[in-house]
Amino acid sequence: MNTFPVATLRKPSVVIQPHKGLFQLDLLSLWQYRELLYFLVWRDIKVRYKQTAIGASWAVLQPFITMVIFTIIFSRLANISSDGKPYPLFSFAALLPWTYFSQALLRSGNSLVGSANLITKIYFPRLLIPLAASLAPLVDFLFSFIMLILLMVWYGVVPTWGLLALPALILLSLVTALSVGLWLTTLNVKYRDVGHIIPFLIQIWMYGSPVVYSLNMVPEKWRLLYGLNPIVGVIEGFRWAVLGTARPDFMIMTVSSVAMMLLLLGGLVYFKNMEQTFADII
Amino acid sequence: MDSTAIRVENLSKQYWIAGATRRNDTFCDQLTDTIKFICRRKDRPSKEKTSFLALNDISFSIDQGQIVGIIGHNGAGKSTLLKILSQITAPTSGRAEIFGRVGSLLEVGTGFHPELTGRENIYLNGAIIGMTREEINHKFDAIVDFAEVDKFIDTPVKHYSSGMYVRLAFAVSAHLKPEILMIDEVLSVGDLQFQRKCMAYAEELRKNNSTILFVSHNMFAVKSMCSRVILLSQGKISFDGSPVDAIEMYEKESKVSAMPWALNAIGADPSQWDVYVEDIETYNENGQQLCMFNYGERMRIRLKFSVRRTVVNPNFLISFIRSDEVACCNYNTVMDGFTVPILETDGSIELLTPPLNLVSESYSIYVLVRDAKFEHLYCAQVGKSFHVRHDLLNTHFGVFHEQGEWFMPNEAAGYQSCNFTGGQLP
Repeated sequence: MNTFPVATLRKPSVVIQPHKGLFQLDLLSLWQYRELLYFLVWRDIKVRYKQTAIGASWAVLQPFITMVIFTIIFSRLANISSDGKPYPLFSFAALLPWTYFSQALLRSGNSLVGSANLITKIYFPRLLIPLAASLAPLVDFLFSFIMLILLMVWYGVVPTWGLLALPALILLSLVTALSVGLWLTTLNVKYRDVGHIIPFLIQIWMYGSPVVYSLNMVPEKWRLLYGLNPIVGVIEGFRWAVLGTARPDFMIMTVSSVAMMLLLLGGLVYFKNMEQTFADII
Repeated sequence: MDSTAIRVENLSKQYWIAGATRRNDTFCDQLTDTIKFICRRKDRPSKEKTSFLALNDISFSIDQGQIVGIIGHNGAGKSTLLKILSQITAPTSGRAEIFGRVGSLLEVGTGFHPELTGRENIYLNGAIIGMTREEINHKFDAIVDFAEVDKFIDTPVKHYSSGMYVRLAFAVSAHLKPEILMIDEVLSVGDLQFQRKCMAYAEELRKNNSTILFVSHNMFAVKSMCSRVILLSQGKISFDGSPVDAIEMYEKESKVSAMPWALNAIGADPSQWDVYVEDIETYNENGQQLCMFNYGERMRIRLKFSVRRTVVNPNFLISFIRSDEVACCNYNTVMDGFTVPILETDGSIELLTPPLNLVSESYSIYVLVRDAKFEHLYCAQVGKSFHVRHDLLNTHFGVFHEQGEWFMPNEAAGYQSCNFTGGQLP
């Protein structure tokens, strides 16, 4: 226990100095702290439905009730087309990635501020905090995915080979949520306004994404611009993978992915540059 | 073999004081500021004016196994230094190298979640302070034993008593077994018992040749634990060397201040109090200015006071409060039969104590000025502290130690004769 390998190696275990350079990701330390990431995610999941009567059923109920409401309003009253699929299924297939995305955004956006007591007391790569916050809602996602399968059975929709693309799409939605979450949580440390903005942002964002309507309703000439919204590619991909709707437009997927990559890179650089001041201003 | 544990080179930390000239804590303020800045570049506030150096070009190196105390008055940069060394905040310039696993008692209970059970929190907290899961598995039973919570290990910690909570939190931290321990006593929370536990833990680590960095206001603890003391003042190292010399310098820097509670009782501005003690000086019997006294020595305390309004029949009180907040003794002019004349002008008053029988510890001097009937309070301040030295007597012996008389009563002869046979002390 009290051997001192460092004393013989003569290499400092930690070097502390001001961070220089625009881009120091330090992925190695993320890897070293992977167990902590696991525990942080595990904590979020464990705590989420403590002291609730129906527990994890909330994860299924929330998108389900939203789907029912959407069906009544947008399908029955507003008569919005659903690409030839039953509207409940059509909207639920989009609500799945969207609910995950909005949850991940909400939680990662508030994650740093919510972990102030950790940040001011102990060191670990701060990136773990928004990362854990974006990973935790994946469990909710899995629960509601079971609901989706039940709905598909009910409506007699046969899955296509596109289903195999699902893991890649889930990863894509995780990265998309993280890329936006990084910006929000970093801004939130300094400007608490962000915490108030996030709920509105999510609400507006939903109507700017093909959740209640189909991408086909967006005029052709605006589609590429519309694709700049990084979640568009994810949602369209999801519908295609589970429902077998028309294969998503390659251009739109590319635009969405590029937009997402830029957001992610910018978010990482911004986060890493602000990281060293978190403890001082939080 | 080179056995450096911590090496610090030209470390500085600059803080920006927000709100001095402008605020931009909200996005809106930032926007308007940015617009103003673009429109009128001249208006850019000079950054030099709103920043200060919490640490200013600090360099030192600590060998493995050294116990180093870091002392200094509030704002000297002690906590900032510790925060940088534990990587919580980054330095503005300079460099520090750490050789070994770092633990700090700052993080006791950090990340504990009230909804999780004791077992779950052990894993969570352990991971946060840097233990691997395997390591926690390995030490799990020892932690539970140490915390004495085995019956409640599967109960959410929100149902724990505060004592159990702290015990569990401490148990996790204590099993980290760091090679370098940083203790910030100024920031650490918890009751006296808890602090004692921390000290016992530090003592155990010391035996295992760990390096310890110890920030404290308790000069006595510093003196008894550390072999070397770094004195910080205004972000710089003003002394680095033997504890006795460092503490002597520290005491010289210290000022008399008003007691926080007195600001409500007397008045928010101490400079308007009827009487104000400007300085407290401690001397030995021969008039030599000191702050460390031997057990049994007599001590002179001189209070220099200023008077703003005439005070009739004042009663000066001097109390010694031990570093663990135990009030040890009190001297006051009324009970000691000294009549202070009406105070009209600034002056000084001196107390010559009887031989100090207090145990070896650190004591701070509290000064109160009341009226003779203990009804009205004019002044309440805390000033210098002093130390009593004795090789053996410590707090385990109580507050003070005085010599008693011992006998072995002879049953047959009865009580009377005892006095004659055993009453003589060498």
